[in-house]
Amino acid sequence: MTETATSHYKRPDVAGYAEVPYAEKERLFSEVKEDMRFSDYLYGCYECGICVAACPSARFYDFSPRRIAQAAAREDVELIYQQMQEDIWECSQCFSCLRCPRGNNPGGIITIMREVAINNGLASAKQAMEGYSRIIYKIMSTGTQVSPDMLQADAFPDWGPETADVSANLDLWRRALPSETMHTTNTGWDVADKTLVELYLIWFHTGALDMIEEIDQGLHAILQEVMEECLEDEGIEL
Amino acid sequence: MGSETVAVIGGGPGGLRAAHGIVDVGSKVVLIEKREFLGGTPIAENYAGLTPHGEAAEPQMQRMAELVTSNPNADVRLGTEVVSCEGEPGAYLLTLTGADGTETIEVGAIVLATGFKHFDPGRETQMYGYYEFPDVIALPDLEAMLKEHSVVRPSNGEAPKSLCFIQCVGSRDRQIGNEYCSKVCCGVASKEAIEVRELLPDCKVYIFYIDMRMYGYWESEIYWPAQEKHHVQYVKGMVTEVLPKGDKLIIRGEDTTMGRPMEIPMDMVVLSVGMEPSVGTREMARVLGVKQNRYGFIDAVAGPLDPVSTDREGIYACGAALGPADLEDTVSSASNAALRAVAFVRSRAAAATA
Repeated sequence: MTETATSHYKRPDVAGYAEVPYAEKERLFSEVKEDMRFSDYLYGCYECGICVAACPSARFYDFSPRRIAQAAAREDVELIYQQMQEDIWECSQCFSCLRCPRGNNPGGIITIMREVAINNGLASAKQAMEGYSRIIYKIMSTGTQVSPDMLQADAFPDWGPETADVSANLDLWRRALPSETMHTTNTGWDVADKTLVELYLIWFHTGALDMIEEIDQGLHAILQEVMEECLEDEGIEL
Repeated sequence: MGSETVAVIGGGPGGLRAAHGIVDVGSKVVLIEKREFLGGTPIAENYAGLTPHGEAAEPQMQRMAELVTSNPNADVRLGTEVVSCEGEPGAYLLTLTGADGTETIEVGAIVLATGFKHFDPGRETQMYGYYEFPDVIALPDLEAMLKEHSVVRPSNGEAPKSLCFIQCVGSRDRQIGNEYCSKVCCGVASKEAIEVRELLPDCKVYIFYIDMRMYGYWESEIYWPAQEKHHVQYVKGMVTEVLPKGDKLIIRGEDTTMGRPMEIPMDMVVLSVGMEPSVGTREMARVLGVKQNRYGFIDAVAGPLDPVSTDREGIYACGAALGPADLEDTVSSASNAALRAVAFVRSRAAAATA
């Protein structure tokens, strides 16, 4: 390990995800720092805690936007890696932390860290995106984002422990409701081929498809297969 | 009997400003300085740049001195000390000794501008090893290096790759007896940290602190740029000891906001020493018979709306003779003391001729 100031801090508990060489952690942080938004999101940190006081997630998780800003300001590469594998997924991206007196945006730093985590296929990103990656396929196939049958315990762990109970007897719960709720499982609206192609191209050009490939190769393969004919009909080559 | 001349004791920033103020309004001044030169601590201690803006200390002090020495109403006595004070308010008799022997002069009022000395880090109660490790230095030592544009490790002459400041050394410490905040060290350390980063961009610079006390514009003019532009690392937590490790030093403390202990190797450690009354301040308090506070500074007995009066009529004090003060405080209180002294001697003279 490179001899740096931070490497002499007491080591964080790195259990639960893969340890990687220090140089790899440095590389990930440099990707965060080189993002064009970074300099507008982090000035200097008073370590005053106003962001934590304002943060809804901090009330329920061992999560602190202050530690995110601090770690970035101190360039604490070890801690930043740990945060990219854990903390950043506990943020609800509500940006209550924007009340920072120094004008920092801890939530924005997290946005960048999440993107870097996804683009580099970190285990935490794969786990966190597991449920959400299905949404894209759902939109393309049915025109809805989320349907009741997607409520599965493994897919949306951030929806809480009750998800398992609810999903186990979902059909019963749904039938107990007076109005029809299961129909969106198969239908939303008919997604026109033109719309499909536009959506696909947006995801392609914004890098969203690359993210999906990094997170869920199976899904990515399905999307490619589904779209192959559509793109051909439109005369588009990617 | 009585004199309209004012004596200013001490030729640093405060004394020079007071003397200039006195001659500027047409009164006479005798400026008495123990050292052989004017400019006070900024010159004696080789300050590089003045806090907060970092202008070169030497030309600034020289300019202040010339405003006094070029005025025919100023009688500047270098290498001269006050050994006794007789007489009464309006007609104090000061006995001076210097190279030319002993002389007694009569003055109507006195301004004490005898300043401070840097805390001696050998007296700290932690274990920082100022006299043990060559790479442990103090703020004025680093100032002298910055003045030469060469910051190197005293142990081997190489540029440091890591350097830290430890704040509040000799200040805010009941163990030592200096319970007060020395007021300027946060700003001075941050200013020096910026200068080190500019001189040595590859050197990591840390500041370990209890509270950062960057009041007023120092906040946005020193603290924020140090952190945001120069990436000086501020860590809230005091270092308990400095230990040798190979050819480096290890600092040991707690990173309080991160909630973890820390041991960090450093090439250089800079102790942010605070202010104590100078030998001259203690000595002049005794000779003039003015009251000192429990820390040895001159007691401003009249409270916050009159911060320059001592307990003796016609004797005023200014700057760091009164307690920790930055340059802005010092010249402000010096102008205040000069005005009070001139008003005092003129009102006595007016009363005598009436």
